[in-house]
Amino acid sequence: QVSELVQFLLVKDQKKIPIKRADMLKSVIGEYKDAYSEIVNKAGRTLQEVFGLQLVEIDSKRPTYILINNLPHAEGKYLCRNKEKEKMGLLLVILSFIFMKGNSVKDSALWEFLHLLAVYPGKPHCTFGDVQKLVTGEFVRQKYLETTPIPLTDPPEFKYQWGPRAEKEISKKDVLNSVAKIQGKNPTFWASQYSEA
Amino acid sequence: ENREAMLNSKSNRLTEALEEANALFDGVCRAREAALDAQFLVLASSIGKEKANELHSEMSAFDSTAYAEDLLTFMGINRTEVEETDDSEDVPGGFLPKDAWLKMGEEALKYFKRAPTFHYMMGSFESEPPVPKQRIERQKKASRGKAERAMPAQLKKMEESHQEATEKEVERILRILQTHFEDDSNTPISFFDFVIDPHSFARTVENLFHVSFLIRDGLARIKLDEDKLPIIEPTKPSGGGEEDDRAGARNQVIINLDQKEWK
Repeated sequence: QVSELVQFLLVKDQKKIPIKRADMLKSVIGEYKDAYSEIVNKAGRTLQEVFGLQLVEIDSKRPTYILINNLPHAEGKYLCRNKEKEKMGLLLVILSFIFMKGNSVKDSALWEFLHLLAVYPGKPHCTFGDVQKLVTGEFVRQKYLETTPIPLTDPPEFKYQWGPRAEKEISKKDVLNSVAKIQGKNPTFWASQYSEA
Repeated sequence: ENREAMLNSKSNRLTEALEEANALFDGVCRAREAALDAQFLVLASSIGKEKANELHSEMSAFDSTAYAEDLLTFMGINRTEVEETDDSEDVPGGFLPKDAWLKMGEEALKYFKRAPTFHYMMGSFESEPPVPKQRIERQKKASRGKAERAMPAQLKKMEESHQEATEKEVERILRILQTHFEDDSNTPISFFDFVIDPHSFARTVENLFHVSFLIRDGLARIKLDEDKLPIIEPTKPSGGGEEDDRAGARNQVIINLDQKEWK
């Protein structure tokens, strides 16, 4: 049962959409419901010991899980498809922007910033295609970004924040360091962000 | 509506509005008015939060334009005078190379603790079309290195065909025995009548071979009748019978039969 769950989790993780506990119960655990937490724990241990991955719960109300990489970062090239790499690049930029702007930005502000990088919501991007779908759809579904409507705005505006997956997969400290590196400055230059990270 | 005015950090208009609302609330006696008041509070707090945010970012001024510029540099922008092109990578003041975002991605991957996506190395192998029983059940396990599986699978097939033939024969003989017994369960068959094929010695030997399987598996029994001649009958499947069968299996009989005798 445990190995079935491990396989299930690994396959489900391909799309990077968080895995719901209900799905786990239905597809794999089935009639062993009572042993559920034991099976999950064992699966988690296997994932850690064999694959170096950590099973993390990101929502306790409707229990959902993600897999993150627990191994220390290796030097050198990363085995990753180009498409994925490019998306991660864009994601880092967005997350950096949100963080440096105080952890929450209006959607208009975000798109205004992306304009400066030749990324336009209306225009198909030669690397990303439909960027708006990518940012508001895929990144949100994968829980990298979280979007909340701003109350009583007309037309409705949204704000963007870091999603739970982003919180687990990347640290504010790393983001600040990355920004500092790109701008050729010391991370302490931004006092309040530095203290938060 | 005066959102912008209120947002101005130098203005106290938000505070004034709050105080006014407070005063008005005392005169409220209808639910609708209270609802309006609540709505106002939500709006006011949202504005308040935004104001606070503005203050916050002013403290550690983050210049997003400068950041954008630096990002472009990092991604390898070619700063040239660009004519009207419809290349979507063009940016005011230059254009980005094809691998711009790839470079960004390399940087990003250093920080993300992203679980590598799981893909089967060899893909799943095709399952055989269902073949009559006796085939060893193949499990559809998604493991790597399925190419190796192809080899032992083939070898298994060869062995099985021998085994299959034998087992089929054994079954056939068992069925004959059983059918005969269905018709007349009190007359056991003479063993020799059963196995000897008057026309073929080889067949006789084969029959003996197959019957020995039945005996070994406890599906048939050989007994001696009144004339001390061996008879054979199928065993009834009964739970208690198991122990007897095992005891019975201890008796080995060597039948010596050569062509002369057979004749």
